[in-house]
Amino acid sequence: MEKRVKYKSSVKDPGTLGSLELSEVMLLFVPNDPKSDLKLKVQTHNIKSQKYTKEGSNKPPWLNLTSKQGRSHIFEFENYPDMHACRDFITKALAKCEEEPNKLVVLTPAEQLSMAEFELRFKLLRENSELQKLHKQFVESKVLTEDEFWSTRKKLLGKDSIRKSKQQMGLKSMMVSGIKPSTDGRTNRVTFNLTSEIIFQIFAEKPAVRQAFINYVPKKMTEKDFWTKYFRAEYLYSTKNTAVAAAEAAEDEELAVFLKPDEILAQEARQKMRRVDPTLDMDADQGDDYTHLMDHGIQRDGTNDIIEPQNDQLKRSLLQDLNRHAAVVLEGRCINVQSEDTRIVAEALTRAKQVSKADGEITKDANQERLERMSRATEMEDLQAPQNFPLAPLSIKDPRDYFESQQGNILSEPRGAKASKRNVHEAYGLLKESILVIRMTGLSDPLIKPEVSFEVFSSLTRTISTAKNILGKNPQESFLDRLPKSTKDEVIHHWTSIQELLRHFWSSYPITTTYLSTKVGKLKDAMSNTYSLLDAMKQSVQSDLRHQVSLLVRPMQQALDAAFQHYESDLQRRTAKIT
Amino acid sequence: MIFKIEDVTVYFPYDNIYPEQYEYMVELKRALDAKGHCLLEMPTGTGKTIALLSLITSYRLSRPDSPIKLVYCTRTVHEMEKTLGELKLLHDYQVRHLGTQAKILAIGLSSRKNLCVNTKVLAAENRDSVDAACRKRTASWVRALSTENPNVELCDYFENYEKAADNALLPPGVYTLEDLRAFGKNRGWCPYFLARHMVQFANVIVYSYQYLLDPKVAGIISKELQKESVVVFDEAHNIDNVCIEALSVSVRRVTLEGANRNLNKIRQEIDRFKATDAGRLRAEYNRLVEGLALRGDLSGSDQWLANPALPHDILKEAVPGNIRRAEHFVHVLRRLLQYLGVRLDTENVEKESPVSFVSSLNSQAGIEQKTLKFCYDRLQSLMLTLEITDTDEFLPIQTVCDFATLVGTYARGFSIIIEPYDERMPHIPDPILQLSCHDASLAIKPVFDRFQSVVITSGTLSPIDLYPRLLSFTPVVSRSFKMSMTRDCICPMVLTRGSDQLPVSTKFDMRSDPGVVRNYGKLLVEMVSIVPDGVVCFFVSYSYMDGIIATWNETGILKEIMQQKLVFIETQDVVETTLALDNYRRACDCGRGAVFFSVARGKVAEGIDFDRHYGRLVVMYGVPFQYTLSKILRARLEYLHDTFQIKEGDFLTFDALRQAAQCVGRVIRSKADYGMMIFADKRYSRHDKRSKLPGWILSHLRDAHLNLSTDMAIHIAREFLRKMAQPYDKAGTMGRKTLLTQEDLEKMAETGVQDMAY
Repeated sequence: MEKRVKYKSSVKDPGTLGSLELSEVMLLFVPNDPKSDLKLKVQTHNIKSQKYTKEGSNKPPWLNLTSKQGRSHIFEFENYPDMHACRDFITKALAKCEEEPNKLVVLTPAEQLSMAEFELRFKLLRENSELQKLHKQFVESKVLTEDEFWSTRKKLLGKDSIRKSKQQMGLKSMMVSGIKPSTDGRTNRVTFNLTSEIIFQIFAEKPAVRQAFINYVPKKMTEKDFWTKYFRAEYLYSTKNTAVAAAEAAEDEELAVFLKPDEILAQEARQKMRRVDPTLDMDADQGDDYTHLMDHGIQRDGTNDIIEPQNDQLKRSLLQDLNRHAAVVLEGRCINVQSEDTRIVAEALTRAKQVSKADGEITKDANQERLERMSRATEMEDLQAPQNFPLAPLSIKDPRDYFESQQGNILSEPRGAKASKRNVHEAYGLLKESILVIRMTGLSDPLIKPEVSFEVFSSLTRTISTAKNILGKNPQESFLDRLPKSTKDEVIHHWTSIQELLRHFWSSYPITTTYLSTKVGKLKDAMSNTYSLLDAMKQSVQSDLRHQVSLLVRPMQQALDAAFQHYESDLQRRTAKIT
Repeated sequence: MIFKIEDVTVYFPYDNIYPEQYEYMVELKRALDAKGHCLLEMPTGTGKTIALLSLITSYRLSRPDSPIKLVYCTRTVHEMEKTLGELKLLHDYQVRHLGTQAKILAIGLSSRKNLCVNTKVLAAENRDSVDAACRKRTASWVRALSTENPNVELCDYFENYEKAADNALLPPGVYTLEDLRAFGKNRGWCPYFLARHMVQFANVIVYSYQYLLDPKVAGIISKELQKESVVVFDEAHNIDNVCIEALSVSVRRVTLEGANRNLNKIRQEIDRFKATDAGRLRAEYNRLVEGLALRGDLSGSDQWLANPALPHDILKEAVPGNIRRAEHFVHVLRRLLQYLGVRLDTENVEKESPVSFVSSLNSQAGIEQKTLKFCYDRLQSLMLTLEITDTDEFLPIQTVCDFATLVGTYARGFSIIIEPYDERMPHIPDPILQLSCHDASLAIKPVFDRFQSVVITSGTLSPIDLYPRLLSFTPVVSRSFKMSMTRDCICPMVLTRGSDQLPVSTKFDMRSDPGVVRNYGKLLVEMVSIVPDGVVCFFVSYSYMDGIIATWNETGILKEIMQQKLVFIETQDVVETTLALDNYRRACDCGRGAVFFSVARGKVAEGIDFDRHYGRLVVMYGVPFQYTLSKILRARLEYLHDTFQIKEGDFLTFDALRQAAQCVGRVIRSKADYGMMIFADKRYSRHDKRSKLPGWILSHLRDAHLNLSTDMAIHIAREFLRKMAQPYDKAGTMGRKTLLTQEDLEKMAETGVQDMAY
């Protein structure tokens, strides 16, 4: 809207002639005289109030706008109708401004998103092309806002999904020393089967072996020689004949490495001791009572235990191994290397250890946490009001994984080939037969032959696991495969976008705010757009496919129709209410 | 909550209180009022420590004119930390309610190793070298030398502390060892000497038993405590053993060899001093003539362990003439070493009384009893004169002098036992000469005499009348409290048979039976599959545990256990055990939990709590009897029989059962907690054994649970765990209140009804 006005900065001001341009966002006064610098811009939301002269008074039609900063602008119009038109326009614009803040509230979370969240969204879009397409279609065409789009996908953004993906695979609870060799029974030869899993565990539990591997292989010996030597040492250890072990170790320095106490472990232990809970620190007692001093106190009254004096160099006990093993299992898999190359694994482990050692230096946080835990432990829980500690989320495996893995098993199992030939019907038949038998002869022991029940069970498992795959192969889908690729993609794309739109559409009801009503309006427009696109697609396909395509499209259009119908009736109801 | 017990306003840092805690406070207050000693048994898991601390600190606040000092003795450093943690909580509460007048100074005191902040000193491996490394930097002559020679290394923390002199004070507050270290580091003062100095100003001191019971330590650290102190021995069920240990010494061959080397070194030093500084030796001689073993009060950094004999037994007289001269003293010691060497060469076990030992020593080596008595002080004086700082190197000769002084001082309550080898391993010759104390009352007598109130308390002090006899004192209050239960949160069971109905026991003739080992294993395998979180197993000894775990490993039982839970084990290496415990707790915090294998009478059984999810089940494999063939134990039993008319068998059972009760008692900490206890040995079903268990366990031991097999125990455990998982009313139901609020207490005070809980 544009009006010819005279602008006065105050009542006394004679005024400057010019034109006033009005828009929803701002009003702009441009003086006629281009040399004048009285150009004025007022943002609509800056207007606090407006005053105007009444028609019929002997004053000229003035409109006085007061800005929030307290300045007033007076415009003298040529006639009253002009002024009224302007006044109404500004009133409307102001009303809109009032509403704006509400909208802003909705928008703010989007603006306060952390960098991490943006990255996560970006990553999701990148990984999922379908999602990307939808995002492009709706968000970039402003049908949906960024937030609306993501709010229905909270699950994808949820922290659970991030945490879940972080969960590591644990280690097996099997002891390294439990690796038993296989013998061929005739000779004294034994064979050890080492997997990368076992090697990882050996390296994790015995840093000295890891270090020796890095040092010796492949410069000094081959990997095979290395492991042969290792198991030789393990064998010597298991015989518990320390004399022989000592003799062999004296001759062979590489072998001695495996038999000697682990220096690296001892060092790690010393480091960990500094972080230990002081209420558990028994080492501190060692220096505190004087009874441990040599020869103080009673030595042999039967309370103190005795240990066989052992060769100090070769001292290593099963108990130590057990503790070490449990500690490693508890620590979990600290590196993420899936490599067959033993050396890479060894080096990665060493690095990981060094990093954790560096972490150990910065113990402030850990210390704080330790103290907190301690003070929590000193309190008596039931004498005071309950404290709510955060719960750790459970991470339970999706049951479908099981069925899928079953499916895989059946496919890969050679025995499965025979089994899979028997289909569900066969199993059913068997079950029916045995029920018939029961009917005739009454209950017997066993109730059902084990073979039959096994058959039924396994075919049920198979059925459940294949159900998903079969679902995907329903006749419609197979028809889809016959469509030309471009058409097929188009159909699928329309389907997903309609789903998206409908989800937003239905979730907007009941309409309580103007924000929702505008959203629904936008969605309706987008939907009718899609509707016409669907029609166009139906027209464009080849005639032999047209029937099938229309069959495919029909449920989509029906869904859209239902939405339109609801929209119309709701609109009518609301307008009826207003009037 | 704040309430009144008679005229004392008690500040208790929680909203509620257990009735037995209240009762405990009432009894304790009576003892304090009467200025007498008391003996209080209260089950674990009823908040003994906090009740005790809050009553005594409140008592102190209510008597501002005669403030009492609290000396709290714990057995271990980690218990010390725990106690200080609770005290901190209480102190915060009192300060919040009373303002600055409630402020107290509470410190934990430990050895140099635990308090030192000098990184160079800390680099030393063990305690002795930390001590020696500290002395090398702080001894008075070293510091004097450094004024001339700037290359002599001193400890900055100690120098700063000395410079600050009397201004070096700790502001009021509760200081754990860690806090002390942090404070010292911050101010640049040595925390160890600061803490030692603050002992005389502190309102609460927490330290280990030895600091009060062992005369060697008490003589330097605790000698300045005033009579108006309340001494508390917490977890005191083993106090008799601690007392005995404090006065016992043993000498081995290595000790003698080391002592000989020490004498050579001393000899050289004497010669060196004769050549360079003969005046010093003469001065020492003159001092000794005057009867001063030590030159007055030593500066803190010069002190060594004090005389091993008790203060009231040490005569204040001049050092006998024949050992006044340094060379003569060295000669006497040489003769003593020679004599001991001859005695160690024996083929048979010999047992002798101190009197006959001294007389034969006199006739064969010509050393009189009086000379022996002064050995320790004479040695100390000599070492100071010779300015020796490597104290850990001179331990052997100190041990020998310890022995000499003790044997010269005490004629009764001791015996000398010489064994050529350990009876359990006769093939390894390891001769040892032991001076063992049998009378626990000797060491603790000065404590009872010196302080107005001594409180002996523990979860297991039954039979409660035995302790006053063992320690020979008369308590003004002696009570055993029951535990009021909101629900049956403990479930003791006696397992006598395996699933195959074969009896299980660790009796000597049965313990290595494969059937017993298997049944024990199967019990654990079944249990770990049904019990959530932590499971703790106690064995009768290290060697037994070692053996049984090896067998389980071979037979695959261990593997089955490991499929359910991680396995951690107490070993004889404390560092490893500590880490194993730390890992065990971490494993209980997440995932399926863990099993901890431990040993009764071991360090873990003594002081580590397996409360809450850290222990839902304790299995006590066998009855933890002492090794009854031990000569020392025999001698002690004889002495007990002769002096106190305590029967041998009774004492052994009492001792074994208190250990067992101690082990299983670690599982519960509060009434919200719950846990099962399995006594896996057929002997527990016998009345004479079982009845020695503390009352709070016995009252939950149902008749139906007295003779179980593995499968029955599994069934009961399942039921119990299911029941415990249900929500319950914490305040107690059916008319019995197990949790009192402030109002309840006020009502009780009005009506004068005290026994509403039981």
